[in-house]
Amino acid sequence: MTEASPAQLAPYVTGGAFVLAFIFGAVGAKTNFCTMGAVSDWVNMGDTSRLRMWLLAIAVAILGTNALHLAGVVDLSKSIFQAPRFIWLAYLVGGFVFGVGMTLGSGCGSKTLIRIGGGNLKSVVVFMFLGVAAYMTLRGLFGSFRVGVLEKSVITLAGNQDLPAIFARLLGGELKTWILALSLLVGGSLLAFVYASKEVRANFDYTLGGVVIGLLVVAGWYVSGAIGHVAEDPKTLEEVFVATNSGRMESFSFVAPMAFVLEYLMLWTDTSRIVTFGIASAAGVIAGSAAYALATRTFRWESFRDAEDTASHMIGGVLMGFGGVTALGCTVGQGISGFSTLALGSIMTFVAIVAGSAATMKWQYWRLMR
Amino acid sequence: MNFDKDLDARGLNCPLPILRAKKALTDMQSGQILRIIATDPGSVKDFQAFCKQTGNELISQTEADKEFVVLMKRK
Repeated sequence: MTEASPAQLAPYVTGGAFVLAFIFGAVGAKTNFCTMGAVSDWVNMGDTSRLRMWLLAIAVAILGTNALHLAGVVDLSKSIFQAPRFIWLAYLVGGFVFGVGMTLGSGCGSKTLIRIGGGNLKSVVVFMFLGVAAYMTLRGLFGSFRVGVLEKSVITLAGNQDLPAIFARLLGGELKTWILALSLLVGGSLLAFVYASKEVRANFDYTLGGVVIGLLVVAGWYVSGAIGHVAEDPKTLEEVFVATNSGRMESFSFVAPMAFVLEYLMLWTDTSRIVTFGIASAAGVIAGSAAYALATRTFRWESFRDAEDTASHMIGGVLMGFGGVTALGCTVGQGISGFSTLALGSIMTFVAIVAGSAATMKWQYWRLMR
Repeated sequence: MNFDKDLDARGLNCPLPILRAKKALTDMQSGQILRIIATDPGSVKDFQAFCKQTGNELISQTEADKEFVVLMKRK
């Protein structure tokens, strides 16, 4: 699509993101897709079904995304996730803090948007605190700590940080062969683990949620990385990924986009501000979830129980905003989109998020029992 | 239906209704019945999964006035 100008392509990118996110919101609401719930079911009752649904989404995203890459449709090295700059401490701390935050705030970024669509006013407050904290981590007070402390612990690799690139450097061989082998190995192993469960095989909702959300991430890469890709902008003669906040190829992520939603609304009259892939996707998830809730008559207003509940959600929002930006993504941003690129930092962040969430649940239970 | 213990989980979201139910069950004897009132729509499936996994019996789940009422018998 190098013929069209960025301005001409922008509506296709944002419109595509909105439609895909609308489906994300509706299917997420129907299937109860929730990454925090997945950890809760596992830690609090030993049920791994929803964890397997999340892993199914990751497996589908890995297989589909790498197929797009190998077919030459998108170039995954143009995403933020595979960069050689390996900020290991930021992945670990950001991920863990995000995991704590999503447990205190009744769910991760995508679940917050899904809950808003279903009428949960607590999640509106989480959205506001998450968005402000994310902005403060991007460009404000928390950003100083992120850049000045956490990102000082960095390893600059000899090449990209995705597993195929690392294996190709260590063991030799064609990069494309490693991409094919490792995406099949990791994706296939995850699929085998997911469908080893009788519960998952028996309840179609797990397959529906996992497959659809995985495919939506793949489609997100296509929208941003193929439709929105301009090899050479006629004005600047530089490569452009149209209507993105990062300037790179994007798929779904739900922390920094909340900051950009707030920024867009506050700077509405600044004509240099545009609707981006991330902003459109946040709006799409809310709209999709609301449509599902209204269509199934499950829309219901929910509010805070007491001061402690209010404080917990406010803190949860702040921790998610800080953690999500610091780790370069949330349970969907790093946990599915990033993971689909087989980036080592994404896999590390995924583990740190699960650990932070599980530790918080253990602490909550200990606090109740003492 | 009579119950032995009442748990008010109204206004709480996942994972707190499950954690509070777990705590309530530890103070109860086998065969006793716990009533839980919740407002989180997600708690409906959560309590079904909880009973299936833990072996406690899910006697009933009803909805009235936008509240979900769960009756659970301790194993």
